[in-house]
Amino acid sequence: MELHLGSYLSWYIPQRSSRMAIKLDKPVSLMELVAGLKIPVEEIALAAVNGVLVALPDTFVSDEDQVELHPPNGGG
Amino acid sequence: MAYGTSGKILRIDLTQKTIRVERFDEDFYRLYPGGKALAGYVLLNELKPGTDALSPENILVIANGLLTGAPFSASTRFTMAARSPLTGSYGESEAGGFWGPELKMAGYEAIVITGRAQLPTYITIRDDQVELRDAQTLWGCEPKEVQERIRAELADKHVRVLQIGIGGENCVRYAAVTNELRHFNGRTGMGAVMGSKNLKAIAVLGSGRYPDQAHDIKPISEIGRALGKRVKDHPQAWDLQVKGTPGLVGAFNTGGFLPTRNFRQGVFEGVDNIKWEAYEKMLTARHTCYACAIRCKREVSVDDRYQVSAAYGGPEYETVEGFGGYCGIDDLQAIAKANELCNRYTLDTISASSTIAFAMECFEHGLIGLKDTGGLDLRFGNAEAMVKMVELIAKREGLGHLLAEGSKRAAQVIGGDAHLFAIQVKGMELAMHDPRGKVGVGIGYSVGEYGGDHLYSVHDTLVANAESITFKGAEPLDIAALPPRELGTAKARNYTILENWTSFGKVVGLCYFAPAPRSYMQVDEVLTAVQAATGWEELTLADLLRIGERATNLARAFNVLNGFSRKDDNLPERLFQPLENGPMAGTTIDKKEFQDTLDEVYRLKGWDPDTTAPSRDRLRELGIEWVADLMGV
Repeated sequence: MELHLGSYLSWYIPQRSSRMAIKLDKPVSLMELVAGLKIPVEEIALAAVNGVLVALPDTFVSDEDQVELHPPNGGG
Repeated sequence: MAYGTSGKILRIDLTQKTIRVERFDEDFYRLYPGGKALAGYVLLNELKPGTDALSPENILVIANGLLTGAPFSASTRFTMAARSPLTGSYGESEAGGFWGPELKMAGYEAIVITGRAQLPTYITIRDDQVELRDAQTLWGCEPKEVQERIRAELADKHVRVLQIGIGGENCVRYAAVTNELRHFNGRTGMGAVMGSKNLKAIAVLGSGRYPDQAHDIKPISEIGRALGKRVKDHPQAWDLQVKGTPGLVGAFNTGGFLPTRNFRQGVFEGVDNIKWEAYEKMLTARHTCYACAIRCKREVSVDDRYQVSAAYGGPEYETVEGFGGYCGIDDLQAIAKANELCNRYTLDTISASSTIAFAMECFEHGLIGLKDTGGLDLRFGNAEAMVKMVELIAKREGLGHLLAEGSKRAAQVIGGDAHLFAIQVKGMELAMHDPRGKVGVGIGYSVGEYGGDHLYSVHDTLVANAESITFKGAEPLDIAALPPRELGTAKARNYTILENWTSFGKVVGLCYFAPAPRSYMQVDEVLTAVQAATGWEELTLADLLRIGERATNLARAFNVLNGFSRKDDNLPERLFQPLENGPMAGTTIDKKEFQDTLDEVYRLKGWDPDTTAPSRDRLRELGIEWVADLMGV
C-alpha cells in the first residue's frame, strides 16, 4: 500500500517522510493503520483512498491501495 | 518610560520636497498602536473621500506594527495602505522580510507620503538623516540592480530597500512592492500608488536597538528563546519550514476545493505536476524573515525550458495554484517563471494570475480573439501564452494594457458576459481559496474592506475539529468548532471573533504563521509580548480583540465615506453555482443562507445591514466616537 501524508502529518512518523510503502497481508481499517503509525486521529481532516474521499472510521484498505491523509489546512 | 515605540512618524511631501517628523503620545498609541490601526487613522482623517487613487492627493501610509522588530519569530510585518487603485476602497497590504524592523531601528513607527515627485525619486533614511534623491537612472531598472546600486551609492550593503519594478512604474492597478527582492506587499495595488507618485524606492538603515523602545525586554527575549527552541517540536512550524505553503496544493485538490479554471472546478487533473513533490525538485534553498526561526520562504532555480533566477525567491501556494490549476497549467517551470517575472516587475501574483484566467475564459467564449491577444492562443492550459501575458501586463502592451486594469475594469470594456468571468469582489480578484469548501473565507471576501483577500479571518478548516492542534490554539478566543461548510449564527460569531484577532495581528505586525490558530505562538504569549513591549500590564485578551475591531471599523468607515455599502459586500455569481468536478461536484453555496449569515455578522459588528456604517454606540465603545461624527451617524 502507498501512503501519502500531507503537510505536517509526516512530522509524526520517525522518518518524517511524506510518502511510504506499507506491506499489508490483509485488509486493515484506516483507524488501525493510523493508530499503528501513532498519528493523532484528531489531526486528520481529509482521507482519500484511490482518489476518493472516505470517512476514517468506516474504511478498510488493502495492499494495492493508494491512501492519502491530510491535516486541517488554511491559507497564508 | 518606553512603551514600544519611538513615537515618531516621518512626513514626506514629494510635491513640496519637504520632510518633517511628527510625534504622537502614549494615549494616541493606545488607540492606534501601529499597522492597520495607524494607517486607518491617518487615511480616514486626512484623505478626502473620492480622491483618485493614482493622483498626487492619495496618501500612502507605511506603518510598522506594535511588535515589528521585537526579537522573536513572526514579528516582522508592516502595513502599506492608501486608497486602492484596484478597488477604490481602503487598500492595504502587509509584508514580512526585513524592511519594517529596519525602519523601527531607524527610529520611526510610520512614514506618511503625500504629493507626487516631479521626477523619479527615491528616499533614503539613515536615522535622523532623511533625503530625497534622484532616481531617474533607476527608473525602468529591475529590483536586483536597483538594490545593488542603492547599496553602492550609500556605501553600505546592509541598507534595506523597499521598491517597485516596472509594473509599479506603469501603474498596473495590482502592482506590488518588494523588499529584499523576495518579500511583498502584494495586494490592492500599493506599487501603483508608489509609481503614481514617481517614488521608486525607500532605502532604510537604522542604528537603533529594539530593547531601547521596549518597556521590558526580558519577557520578549524569553518568548524569542522559547519559539526558537519550539520550531523543531511543533508539527506546523516544522511543516512550514520543510515544505512551506506549496504543500497546500495537493491537500486542497484531494478535498475537491482547489480553485481550478477560474473557479469552475475543484480538482485539477494535472495536480501531480505542480504539487509539493514536484516543487521540491526545483527547490534550491529555504530563507526567512527578520528574527524568524520558521524559515518558510522558498527559493527555486530553473535552467531548462525556462530560466528562473534564484534571486527572486520561489512561488508560494497562491502563486503555484494561481498560475497553475487556476489557469489550467501543469508546467511548474512556467509557473516558476511567471512568479519570477511578477517579482521582477512587482505584480501581485494573485490578481495577475486571476486576471489572466479571466482573459482565458473570455478567449474560450469568443469575447476576445487572436486579434486582441496579438496572436496568442490564450486558452486554459497554454503555459507559454500565460508567461507572455505576464510580460505584456507589466509593460502595458497589447492586451496587457487592458488586463493591467484588473478583471473588473477589463470586463466592462470587453462587454457581453465578460463580467461573469471576472471572479472578484470590490474589484479585487479572489485568492486561491474556494468558499464552497470553506464558507467563512467567502464571508471575508464579501465583508472584507478590499474585496477578494483570504486573510481577513481564520479559515474554517483550521477550527473545525475541537481536538485538533489548530482549534486548541485558538480556543482561548472563545470560538466553537464548526464544520467548514456550515453557515449560520455560530459561523457568523466565529468569523467576527477571528476577524478581530486577525486584524489585531495586522495592527501589531505579527505574521499569520505563528499565533493561533497555528499555535506555534500561544495566545498568552502574544498577550505577554504586547504587555512587555508597552508596559500596559492591565491589557487583557479582550483588549487585543478590541484593538483589531477598532482597526476594522476605521477601514469600514473609510469605505462608507467613499460610497461603499451592502451592495458591494457580495460574492461572484459563480460561487453560487455548483462545482463541475471532483468529490465536491455539485456543491454550491445557498444564497439566502449566505445573506442571512452576513446579516448576523453586521449585527455582531454593530454595523447597519444596508449602509454597513458602524453605529455610534459601537464606535463609542471602541473609543473612536469621532468616526461617527465624521460619517454623520
